[in-house]
Amino acid sequence: MIAGKLVNLRAREFGDAERNARWSSDRELLALTGHRYPQSLAAIKPAVRGYASEPLSHADPRFAIETKDGVYIGNIRLSDVSSDDRHAQLSIMIGERSYWSKRYGSDAVRTLLRFAFREMNLHRVELYVYATNARAIAAYQKCGFVQEGIRRRAYYSRGVWVDVIVMSALACEWSEEAR
Amino acid sequence: MIAGKLVDLRAPEMGDLARNTRWINDREVTQFLSVRYELSSAAEEAWLRDVVSAPMSFERPFFAIETKDGAHIGNTNLFDVRPEDRVAEMGIMIGEKPYWSRGYGSDAVRTLLRFAFDEMNLHRVQLFTYSFNHRAIAAYRKCGFVEEGRRRGARYRQGRHHDFIVMAVLRDEWRLRPDA
Repeated sequence: MIAGKLVNLRAREFGDAERNARWSSDRELLALTGHRYPQSLAAIKPAVRGYASEPLSHADPRFAIETKDGVYIGNIRLSDVSSDDRHAQLSIMIGERSYWSKRYGSDAVRTLLRFAFREMNLHRVELYVYATNARAIAAYQKCGFVQEGIRRRAYYSRGVWVDVIVMSALACEWSEEAR
Repeated sequence: MIAGKLVDLRAPEMGDLARNTRWINDREVTQFLSVRYELSSAAEEAWLRDVVSAPMSFERPFFAIETKDGAHIGNTNLFDVRPEDRVAEMGIMIGEKPYWSRGYGSDAVRTLLRFAFDEMNLHRVQLFTYSFNHRAIAAYRKCGFVEEGRRRGARYRQGRHHDFIVMAVLRDEWRLRPDA
């Protein structure tokens, strides 16, 4: 378990599947995370079983986000981890809506960044966020992410094309004390 | 066969294997690509066999680049093609170095863009290139690509981290160009 201030990051477990299926039917959440199609519990179960059966490693670090009370509220992961470049992409979803805008997400991002820089020895963590998701962009900036570019009209959702913002945090800029 | 001005784009064939293997193990060529490790001819053959045995489709458009004299000089492809966003990423390699800096690569890019926009009905084509690859960046600009961002230190090559430049061209912009 990796401890943050408001949340802990733990390995994914088989039992996560039911909540994941519920989150997967939330249309607003899907639009924010780019997961267009709702997934059945039958489809989610083998996927969760797959990564919960493998020891967590440098190649595919996936975590469940739990509050200090043990409530499972979302997922966070690093993907496309490049060992040579020491670089990875971060994605996060707070599935439990009652925990939105209460800093749980930011704390999870900070906790994962600390792990990425101080334990995995990555040099750069990047993410992509839709330009319409102002709340997320502000939160990422607070966590030390810098905007690096705008992929114009790269995402189509709810009938319109949306710009995709490229952001990253570099280990050499990041200081835990300042956050 | 998709005709450009200097080159044609055709489906890949098993006969391309020896050249592909030579190019992908040529450090002068791969310094500009995402390829880092040496590749055996067996691994290259397995990959090529997989590509050529399926009919080319929206999911994996992969082309050999030939001069009008029929010389196979490189490959170009679209990948991560997303039907909902109508977006794809493009890659290109001119493996035959005597054909560098003579307009063949640019013509292949223009020909691929025309196919992507006019036939596949894509709305955006994007790519990433190393900040030190000035020749490629200039060529992509000439073809209509716009620099959208700079992923700081995203790639490590030859002893240090380099920025990765984000470029893209939108069909609406591209249609206004004389070479469209």
